[in-house]
Amino acid sequence: MNAVYLLLVVLIPPLAGAVVAFAPWRRRAHWMCFLELAVILNSVLVWLLLFNRPADTLTLIHFTGELSIAFRLDGLGTVFAGLVSFLWPFATLYAFEYMTKEKHERVFFFFYTLTYGVTLAIALSDNILTMYCFYEMLTLATVPLVMHTLSREAILASRKYLYYSIGGAAFAFIGMIFVITYGDTTEFLLGGVLNMSKVGENRDILQFIYFLTFLGFGVKAAVCPFNSWLPKAGVAPTPVTALLHAVAVVKSGAFAILRVTYYSFGTDFLRGSFAQNAVMAIVMFTIVYGCSMAVKETHLKRRLAYSTISNLSYILFGAALMTPFGLVGALSHMVFHALMKITSFFCAGAIIHQTERIYVHQLDGLAKKMPKIFGIFTVSALALMGVPGLCGFISKFYLASAAIESGNVLSYFGIGCLLISALLTAIYMLSIVVRAYFPTGEFREETLEGISDPNWMMLLPLIVFVIFIVGFGLFCAPLISFFGDIAGV
Amino acid sequence: MEEKMNFILLVPILFPVIAGVFLLWKREFQKRRSLLIFVGAVLLLTGAFAAVGILGGERRFTAFYLTEELPVFFKLDELGRLFASLVTVVWILAGFFSFAYMKKEKREKRYFGFYLITFGVLLGLDFAGNLITMYLFYEFMTLASLPLVLHSQTGEARMAGLKYLFYSFCGAYLALFGVYFLVRMGNTIEFTPGGVFESSFLLEHQTLFLVITMLLVLGFGVKAGMFPLHAWLTAAHPVAPGPASGVLSGIIVKGGVLALIRVLYYLIGPDFLIGTKVQKAWIVLTLITIFMGSMLAFREPVLKKRLAYSTVSQVSYILFGLAVCERTAFEGALLHVIAHAFIKVCLFLCAGAMIYQTGCKRVEELRGIGKRMPVTLWCYTIASLGLIGIPPTSGFVSKWYLGTGALDGKMPVFSWLGPLVLIVSALLTAGYLLPVTMRGFFPGEGFACRREKEARLMTAPLIIFAALTLFIGIFPETALTVIRAISGVCI
Amino acid sequence: MNAILNFPCFSILLAMFAAIISSVLKGKGARILNTCVVSIVALMSLAALIFTVRTGECYVYVMGHFPAPLGNELRFGALEAGTALFFAVIMLLSLNGGRRKIKLEIAENKEHLYYVMVNLLLSSLLALVYTNDLFTAYVFVEINTISACGLIMITEHGRCIEAAMRYMIMSLLGSGLFLIGICILYDLTGHLLMSDIHASVEAIVAAGTYSVPLLVTIALMVVGLAIKSALFPFHSWLPDAYGYSTVSSAAMLSSLVSKGYIFLLIKLIYRVIGFPIFTESRVIDVLFIFGIVGMIMGSLSAIKENDIRRMISYSSVAQIGYIYMGFGLGTLAGMAASIFHILSHAATKSLLFVSAVGLTDVSGNHKDFERLTGAAYRNKAAGVAFTVGALSMVGIPAFSGFVSKLLFAQAALDQHGKMLPALIVLAVSSVLNVIYFMKTVIRIYTPVQTGYPSIKMRENKLFVMTLLCFIALNLLLGMCSEPITEWIVQGLHVFA
Repeated sequence: MNAVYLLLVVLIPPLAGAVVAFAPWRRRAHWMCFLELAVILNSVLVWLLLFNRPADTLTLIHFTGELSIAFRLDGLGTVFAGLVSFLWPFATLYAFEYMTKEKHERVFFFFYTLTYGVTLAIALSDNILTMYCFYEMLTLATVPLVMHTLSREAILASRKYLYYSIGGAAFAFIGMIFVITYGDTTEFLLGGVLNMSKVGENRDILQFIYFLTFLGFGVKAAVCPFNSWLPKAGVAPTPVTALLHAVAVVKSGAFAILRVTYYSFGTDFLRGSFAQNAVMAIVMFTIVYGCSMAVKETHLKRRLAYSTISNLSYILFGAALMTPFGLVGALSHMVFHALMKITSFFCAGAIIHQTERIYVHQLDGLAKKMPKIFGIFTVSALALMGVPGLCGFISKFYLASAAIESGNVLSYFGIGCLLISALLTAIYMLSIVVRAYFPTGEFREETLEGISDPNWMMLLPLIVFVIFIVGFGLFCAPLISFFGDIAGV
Repeated sequence: MEEKMNFILLVPILFPVIAGVFLLWKREFQKRRSLLIFVGAVLLLTGAFAAVGILGGERRFTAFYLTEELPVFFKLDELGRLFASLVTVVWILAGFFSFAYMKKEKREKRYFGFYLITFGVLLGLDFAGNLITMYLFYEFMTLASLPLVLHSQTGEARMAGLKYLFYSFCGAYLALFGVYFLVRMGNTIEFTPGGVFESSFLLEHQTLFLVITMLLVLGFGVKAGMFPLHAWLTAAHPVAPGPASGVLSGIIVKGGVLALIRVLYYLIGPDFLIGTKVQKAWIVLTLITIFMGSMLAFREPVLKKRLAYSTVSQVSYILFGLAVCERTAFEGALLHVIAHAFIKVCLFLCAGAMIYQTGCKRVEELRGIGKRMPVTLWCYTIASLGLIGIPPTSGFVSKWYLGTGALDGKMPVFSWLGPLVLIVSALLTAGYLLPVTMRGFFPGEGFACRREKEARLMTAPLIIFAALTLFIGIFPETALTVIRAISGVCI
Repeated sequence: MNAILNFPCFSILLAMFAAIISSVLKGKGARILNTCVVSIVALMSLAALIFTVRTGECYVYVMGHFPAPLGNELRFGALEAGTALFFAVIMLLSLNGGRRKIKLEIAENKEHLYYVMVNLLLSSLLALVYTNDLFTAYVFVEINTISACGLIMITEHGRCIEAAMRYMIMSLLGSGLFLIGICILYDLTGHLLMSDIHASVEAIVAAGTYSVPLLVTIALMVVGLAIKSALFPFHSWLPDAYGYSTVSSAAMLSSLVSKGYIFLLIKLIYRVIGFPIFTESRVIDVLFIFGIVGMIMGSLSAIKENDIRRMISYSSVAQIGYIYMGFGLGTLAGMAASIFHILSHAATKSLLFVSAVGLTDVSGNHKDFERLTGAAYRNKAAGVAFTVGALSMVGIPAFSGFVSKLLFAQAALDQHGKMLPALIVLAVSSVLNVIYFMKTVIRIYTPVQTGYPSIKMRENKLFVMTLLCFIALNLLLGMCSEPITEWIVQGLHVFA
């Protein structure tokens, strides 16, 4: 397909969102249909693009020198774009139902759809400058979504989000400058673009800069010292927390790290350096930290947010291994975690929407009233723990075997962290499930009068996701071999 | 023709699982009777399917591939046959016992649903032909049996359930660490008697493999109630309904044993273990567990808890036999797997029957129980004797093999310390099991009570289990032929 | 074409005459005259820019055709013409944006005096940009100071007068140092024309004599100009002066006056001392250090500030720090980055001042954040414009701030010893910028029930148009940076 379509898929969502926000609409159903159709159309376009990958690059603007804003679709981009475009129509559908109780719907959907375009742009970026630009735009596009309720808490949360994200980008910026200066090209090429003759004696500095860049992009991926924005951002409406703070935004951070690690700095350059060890130590700490905090947390959505923190670091662990297998593991966890976490968040959202209960201890016995939601939640919980037969096991398996294969002793400890985290995941997820299915003696069923499963708009996305969770868990050989092709295994 | 029939391995696994899920998903049955007929039919049919599988020849079947490297693969070898037949027999009998026992409990449908699912999962665990398949079913075993523990929905049950869950997963993940390495480093993950690694390769990575082995032992040891991660067992088993605690203690703990045999004797290879620090550490742990379990059982007043502590102790007999890595001891361990399964299920079912009839849970309340429920108490007594290891019961034979195996083993201290601990523990076993019999049959002066009607559905399984205990004790060769076939290829 | 060579001189004179004429006009007449003059100056500078860029050369204009020692010279190339154009445009926009406030805050009988000052300021700025004579430069520095003081205190507000006094004292101190520097230099070389001084300085350096006096001279002149352009730690006069004066004044002061001095400093570096000699002196390291400290301290002060105007003022301190850091790098790329930042900061800062006043207008003229809550809903155009300005300051791609950050960072990479401190301070300062600017943006977009009236866009067309022009200018700098950087580099090559 022509490379112009790359621009098209980036532009359709914001335009459709703008039409929804600013055109006069008579009835809610009308603009809902319009938006859903536009999003589906866009996703279909993306998938068409994925299967007929345009070979050439589309350059939009030339900055100074060889810096340009350009789009290109390569392997890694395919995975992220495919993931995002698969999830978005479902999430939009879910959001329609969820947002009935909220105000300023159309403005919300404008930013929500705008984010779709920006996220795709990140996935389709040809070079590091383009990615950086859209990375910043992503922050800006999502702040209004976090702020949506305009409560004091939401404003503080969005402020924090903004500081952290843009602050992180400021450090990532330094890394970008180094890649621009010391690289042969700014494009993303597997194996890295650094020119060793230019690097010369600056190896240490560059590795230090890589570390800074990792932390910088890591802010969005919620690595340890910089993760407190994520649980705070849970004040946003659930479609936002689910899609953005479990998938689009945080995965953009992880995606950016994968890009700079494997495609800009290059793994050959980094492997064995102190930067790798430092990064891996941070990631391992985050894995355990996130889970421990999740166990401590009693607010349902915040608990899931902490779980996200930990799981994102799984992906980063794959990045920190700096081997092709590591990339396979990271990619598979990127996809699978997206499915699992969006499912569990949507379940949490459905619970909040139907019952207005937000704390874990309020969920006693709810499974009886909302059997479908809790059935799905249980599957996603088991998948997150990494029970074999569900997709979480596969990605953990590949991460662990990549760690073994890398032969780095530190990474063996990483496997240990993965398993500790799996145990903690079992604790914080299954305690919810057990509570919901097996209420204890003092529980009275009358308190749950009138509670039921939500309608099809909420259930349909969940059912689709669950099918994929199980499906990938049982059979994902083609997907893994596709990741292998990307990583050049 | 033989090739095509291999999918039959899947039938006994999937059939009860599907039936169980169907049961959970369906609305309440109008009549209790139809529920029981359904469950009974499923149990018997599954038994029949399993028997077809077990009695047939060597079967191998690859169901599907999780990924290219991870096939879900089933294989029926001698060890699998042994465990599968054990599971089938116990499960069907305990199932029929439940029909009577569950009359007084609520939410029967859920209980039987998960009971059936667990049955299928256990058969899957036994049929598993490679590491990943086994791990898959191992985790599902925990999950499927969890609702049995939680069944009564009291606060205590929930705490016990969560404890069960977290200890189990803790163990599973400790083991998973080793599993990752075994999958990555081995040429194959298919279970092969004697191990799949070249000894030179093992020596090259000795430290790594020692760590892995230790973790595997600790991890799978959790399920088998091995010190130091045994605390879940005594919390979880007693709170379950009677038959459920029976199968938990008799069968599901053996899941850990099976897994250990599989990874140590079928993947890593026992030769690697001999003389290493890991072996010593493991033996020490098992001996501590044996002694500690018996001691704790001795001072426990609640009968079911006492039996649970006894399980802790007895399963470590098996682990001890495995840890010695010696042929006779290994045979003794496998024999004790069978003996302990029948005996412990029998004991728990007896305890369940007593609670069902009298509501008495503590040992001192059971005075004169032999007058009220003589059949039950006779069965209890026979099983007790088996557990203590008095001839002519199965426990005697298995302990004999364990003891002589340990003495034959070429270990400096443990070759005499091990048997000593076994004997001391046997004495303690007598000390904590027999008072029930003595008080039950001889309540003392001025104790009047009448004989109660014992449900036939309850007594029949008890009698069968007691008979099996005696049968194996008297004709141990029946079991030993199978066991020798296993130990012959493994060591 | 020869006519164009007269344009620089003509524009200076035009502005000066306009100042004189304005003094006898009424407020409205002065305003129209001023607008015309600024526009004409802009057009003339544009013509000069096109001409110089096309020829790619530098022209010397000898005043009255008197030769060197007596006469006076103007010299202009692409850089000068472009800067002049830019200054004129910013001035026009700043005045238009604050027009309403000027009418409100300045007594009617004094309005024409304001335009007198503006015209004087313009002429002095143009002179600073174009002149090739050190003494002329000094004269216009003083004129500039006086007109700037006038602009600050014209509202006759108590705090303004205080601020103006402070500004006056600090400025005079600066120009005093500058004057001493000129004297010593004259003593050493015997010239006042920049090109002549340069030749002599090179001879002195080559001979190896007078190295200490030369260093002292450089230091005196640089510090003098640094005080005047509010480099940290000489910035104490700035927040009051920018914070309390009328908005057009604040915008012009921050984006033009201090930039005029910085431009003079560039001229000093390139044309008087000579770039190689300057980079070898230690002054450059001092500038670098003051620059990066200023970047951090300015932002920290801005974070603490609870008054939107003073916050923006402190942000200027930080931004001036960026510019001096660019100088301090001592490379051509660093210089180019600084010049780009002069433009980008001028465009952004005046936009921020003007839009901030739009926001305070709808908050009962209160400048504290508490009362500004939700102001962006009451004055939508100002809200959007402020957001754009803030994003540019933070360095979001597509806005001008991003490009200057990019250029600074790239320049820093060439300079080994200063690379890491420069980059890290750049990053930290961006983080700090995020904190105070984004806090404000979120604040003004937080809806709240207040009694303050809101302003429709229709009612305030001039204001909205001005803001749109500012935004367009900002985006132009951000998106089409390639021709602009090319122009800067080309201009720098013919500058010396």
